[in-house]
Amino acid sequence: MSSSISSSDASPGWGRCLAACIGTLALGAALIATLVMLVDPYDSGRFGAFGIVGVSDRNPWTANVSRARDPQFDSAILGNSTGQLLEPARLDEATGLRFVQLVAPGADPRGDLAILDFFAEHHQTIRALVISVDQPWCSNTVLPPPKDPFPYWLYEGGPLRHLGNLFTWAALDRSFQRIAIARGARRPVRADGYWNYEELWAPGAKHPTAAEPAKAAPFTGKVTDSFPYAGMLAAAIGKLPRDVSVVLVMPPTFYTIVPGSGSRDAAAHTACREAYRSIVSGRANSNLIDYRVDNALTRDPSNFVDLIHYRAAIARRIEQGIAASLRAGAAAEISF
Amino acid sequence: MLFNDYPFLLVFLPAALLIYRLADPYPHLRIGVQVALSLAFYAWGSPSFILLLVTSIAINWIASVIHGRVKWKALLTLVIGLDLAVLALFKYANFLLANLGLVLGTTLPALDIGLPLGISFFTFHHIMYLVDLKRGRAPLYTLDRYALYIAFFPQAIAGPLARWSEVMHQFGRQVYVPGWQRQFCIATCFIALGLFEKVVIADSIAHLLDPIYAQAASGPLASGDAWLAFCFSFQILFDFSGYSDIAIGLGLLFGVQLPYNFNAPLRSTSIQDFWQRWHITLMLFLRDYVFYPLVNLRLLPRRFLPVQFFGAMMITMALCGLWHGASWTFVLWGVLHGLALVACALWRRYGPDFPSWLGWALTVLFVLATGVIFRAGSVDAAWHVFAGLAQALPLARGQQLWPLMAAPLFAFLLPASQDIVAFFTRRPNVVMAGLLGVGILALLIQIGERGVHEFVYFQF
Repeated sequence: MSSSISSSDASPGWGRCLAACIGTLALGAALIATLVMLVDPYDSGRFGAFGIVGVSDRNPWTANVSRARDPQFDSAILGNSTGQLLEPARLDEATGLRFVQLVAPGADPRGDLAILDFFAEHHQTIRALVISVDQPWCSNTVLPPPKDPFPYWLYEGGPLRHLGNLFTWAALDRSFQRIAIARGARRPVRADGYWNYEELWAPGAKHPTAAEPAKAAPFTGKVTDSFPYAGMLAAAIGKLPRDVSVVLVMPPTFYTIVPGSGSRDAAAHTACREAYRSIVSGRANSNLIDYRVDNALTRDPSNFVDLIHYRAAIARRIEQGIAASLRAGAAAEISF
Repeated sequence: MLFNDYPFLLVFLPAALLIYRLADPYPHLRIGVQVALSLAFYAWGSPSFILLLVTSIAINWIASVIHGRVKWKALLTLVIGLDLAVLALFKYANFLLANLGLVLGTTLPALDIGLPLGISFFTFHHIMYLVDLKRGRAPLYTLDRYALYIAFFPQAIAGPLARWSEVMHQFGRQVYVPGWQRQFCIATCFIALGLFEKVVIADSIAHLLDPIYAQAASGPLASGDAWLAFCFSFQILFDFSGYSDIAIGLGLLFGVQLPYNFNAPLRSTSIQDFWQRWHITLMLFLRDYVFYPLVNLRLLPRRFLPVQFFGAMMITMALCGLWHGASWTFVLWGVLHGLALVACALWRRYGPDFPSWLGWALTVLFVLATGVIFRAGSVDAAWHVFAGLAQALPLARGQQLWPLMAAPLFAFLLPASQDIVAFFTRRPNVVMAGLLGVGILALLIQIGERGVHEFVYFQF
C-alpha cells in the first residue's frame, strides 16, 4: 500500500473535500431531476410542469409515448415497420376517424402491446385500431428479448421507475430539444407519427431480387402450434369496449417468402391467421385481412424495398382494405 | 449485484455505509455487521449458492479449529482437497466429461450446474489460510473474523486475492476515527477511477468487439475488423483493473486496505515484468502455493534443477490458464505465457542485452496476440482473427474507434491507478473534489445510458 494512501491525516480540509464531492454530486443529481420533471423529456405525461407540446424525437420507440396520449387522435395503427407506410391522413379521409401512427420498427410484439395498453389508458374513447400482424406475431414461442431492450419503463410503471430511467444522456438531450421547441428554436416531429421510408429508399433505388421460391415438402398433417402472441393480443383487445373496431392486417411480403401452397409453413400460416381471426370475430366493423399471398402485386420487385417492406402502391391498397373493413367488417370487399 | 449497477451504487452501498456507521462505535458489532452485509451482498447476486458459501466457511473454519486442538495435518489436507473438489465439480466437471467422452469416443451427458459467483476466489482464500495454518504460520481465528475474510463483499466475487495476513488484523478496526474523511476521499477516487475504466473504456471496447468475436466464432472476419479484435487485451485490462480499483475503494470505506492487483502492466518491458504487474495477487498466490512447492519438490537430480524449475514454471502457467476457464484455449494461453517466461529467463541468462523499448514492444504484441486466444473461445475463432490481420485497418469507422485509441494511450502513458489516486490526494483540494463529484455524476448517467455489463472476471 502506498504510504501516502495508508497514512492518516486529520486535516479539516479533507472533510470539506468530502462535502464538496458529495454536495456537487447531490446538487447535480437534484438539478437533473428538477430539469427532467419540469420538461418531461419524452412527453410521457407523468411530469412536465412547463406544458411543452410535442417532441423532436425521431426514435419511434420513445416518441410514441407522446403520440399515444395525444387527445386529437381516436384511432391508432400499431405493429412494427411493416405497418410504417400506412398513412394516417389517408385513413382519416377514407373513414372520418383520426388515426395516429404508433408502429415501433424492430420491436417485438410485446413492445407493440405495451404501446397499445398505453394508448388505451390515455383515451376515453377509442374508435378503431389497426394492427400489423406480421411474421413475429406468428411465432409459436415467446421470442427472446431483442438486443436493444424496448423501453417498457416509458409505457408501464409509476413515476419513480420513470424518473430512475431519465438519468441518461438521451433524456437530457431530449429535455434540451423540448426546451428548444418551447422557445420556437426547433420544430416538433409530425404529431401523427407518419414517416415514409421511401424518402430513404426511393422507388427504383432498392428492391428485392426475383427468384424461384424454394420448393417445400408437401404437408398433409395438422398444425398444432400455439401462438402465444395471439393470446396476449386477445387479452389486450378484450380489455377494450366492444364497440372499438379492430382490423388486423397480415402484411404482404415479396412472393419468394410467401409459404408455398401445401407446405407446412402454409399450414402454420393458416393456423396463425385463424388464431388471430378469432380475436376479431363477432366484433363490429372488425376484420382480419391476409395480404400474405403470391400474386401479381407481390411478384413485382418494384412494389417492395426488401422482402418484407412494401412500397406506396401496396400501401394504398392496404389502406383501402382497412377503410372497407371499418365500414363493412368481415364482409368488406378486399381488392388485392 | 454488480459494482457498476444502480442497485449496488444507489441502494446497497449507501445502506451498508449507514448501517456500518451505526455499528462502528461498538467493537463487538463491527465484524458481525460486516459479515451480515457481505452475506446479503452475495445472496442478492447469487441466492441459490449462498448455502454453499456458508457451508464452505463453516467446514473450513471447523477444520482449522480441530487442527488447532489435535494438530492433525491430514484433516487440513482433506479439507483443502474437498475445497478443490467442489471447485472442480462446479467449474470443471463438464469439461472433464466432454474430454473423457472424446477419449472414449462417445458423448457423455453434461451436468446441469451453474457456476457459483466467486467460487474460484473464495476457494483460493480458504487454501491460502489452511496451507499457512498447516505450515504453522497462521494463527486460529474466531468464526466471525474467518467468515469475513472469506466473504468480505468488496473482494468476495473477483478478488483481489488478499492474504489472511494482509487483512485479518484490519477487520473490526474503528473506521470513523480522526482522518476518516481522507480515507473516504481516497476511496471515492478509487471507485470513480474504477468506474471510469469499466464503464467508459472497457464497456465501450466491449460494445465494438463483442459482435466481432461472435462473427469470428462462425467464420472469417471482413473489413479489417480483426485489427479491432486484436485489441481485446485493452478491454480486459480496464475491465479487471476497474473492478479491482472499485474493490479497493470499497474496502477503504469499511476500513480495510486490500492489496493492489495492477501496476500499469502494459508498460512492462518484458513478460516477467508483465506478470509482476498484471493480476498481481493471483500471481503471488500461484507463486507461493503452486510454483515454489513444485520447485522445492525433490524430483530430479541437482544438475537437472533448471529443468525442474522451468517445468514448474510451465505447469504453473498452464494451471493459471485453466483457472481462467474450463477450456483448452485457456490452457493454450497459459502454456504460451509459460513458454514466453521460460524464453525470457533463458534470454536474460544467455542472450545479449535488449533495448527496453524493444522489450516493451515485444511484450505488448505478445500480450495482445495471446489475448485473442484468451477471448476467442476456440482456436478456429482465434485463427479467423489472426488471418483477418492481413486486411487494412478499418479507418473508415472513424469516430467509432475512439475507445481503441484512448485505451492504448491510457495504458501506455498513465501510471498505475494507485499512483494516480496518490497524486490527487496529496493535499485537500475542494475544487478537485467538486470536479470529482461532477465526474461521478457523469459516470452514473453513463451507467443509465448504456445499461450494465458484467465484469469479465465474474465468469472465472
